[in-house]
Amino acid sequence: MNVIFAVVFLGAALVFLLADPEGFLPAMLAGGEKAASVCLALLASYCVWLGFFQVLEKCGLSRRLARALYPAARRLFRSEDRQALALACQNIAANLLGLPGAPTPLGVAATQKFLAAQNGYAAEMLFVLNATGLQILPTTVLALRAAAGSASPADILLPTFLATLLSTLLGAALVCFTALPLRRKKRRPA
Amino acid sequence: MKYLSLLLPLLFIALFAFALVRRVRLYDCFTEGVKGAIPLLVSIFPYLVSVLILSELFEQSGLSAALTRTLSPLFSALGIPPEIGKLVLVKPFSGSGSTALLTDLLARFGPDSYIGRCACVAYGSSETVFFISAVYFAGSKKNLARPVLIALFSNFISLLFGCLLCRLL
Repeated sequence: MNVIFAVVFLGAALVFLLADPEGFLPAMLAGGEKAASVCLALLASYCVWLGFFQVLEKCGLSRRLARALYPAARRLFRSEDRQALALACQNIAANLLGLPGAPTPLGVAATQKFLAAQNGYAAEMLFVLNATGLQILPTTVLALRAAAGSASPADILLPTFLATLLSTLLGAALVCFTALPLRRKKRRPA
Repeated sequence: MKYLSLLLPLLFIALFAFALVRRVRLYDCFTEGVKGAIPLLVSIFPYLVSVLILSELFEQSGLSAALTRTLSPLFSALGIPPEIGKLVLVKPFSGSGSTALLTDLLARFGPDSYIGRCACVAYGSSETVFFISAVYFAGSKKNLARPVLIALFSNFISLLFGCLLCRLL
């Protein structure tokens, strides 16, 4: 990220210097302004979903979900931490349903738990699962297509699902095969 | 499509009804959860700002337009309509930016055209990789090059596959 930041920032700054020196600061401030409004939107959805997930937790449903998925999740993330795995499972479920804004707080909490336990592998796996857009119902796209007057908004469901399934499987496989073998010493070979 | 909007209210009703049966104190519990929102936002805030400032510079300096122009022959060679090139480039940085681009593409080419369908699949099958990496790994010193590259690569392959599917289906 440091390299990307340096390269893109300096590249853009050079273009501004040569073409439009006065536009440089306004562009950065526009970015800051966008960040502020995105933060407000995120805060709103975090409030709703964190409240929702607390209720889910209190009535024991999240524990039940985690217990059902524990054997699979343990292998996928190579982790024994039940609490972190429960969060990761809920994150994946929220992604699949396309609940807007819901996966992030769960994913952040799970990642922090994985990293605190020095399990970089699990954190990477969870990140790649999220960053490859694993989703059954692309709710945003459906809404936009309907708004644009599409004859059949659901037309793209199948190709989108197949494409995102491919990217998720590919990403997970790549994480699995390129993982540093450091942590494997503790595990029995599968 | 009509039933889809029922999902969210149903989800909340089902959970809250179940919670009442379980004698959960709903108000206290919901409030307890909301408490976590501000600390979460504070922890990701600096990373979010840096990524969004970077994406704004990338966009406004014309670098993204130049990159789109340079890459468009490559894109058409790979079967990606060059019209959606910009969407492909912006998506890893910014969700709101790419949503605006998708809306624009749908208005210009129509949602049921080949380009419109490709744009939808490209949007739906990829994710805001840099944004997610900034938020999920906020504050960690982990080297992210490998997972970020894996995510970008997988998303790109799925884009190729998605465009191919749009032509076939």
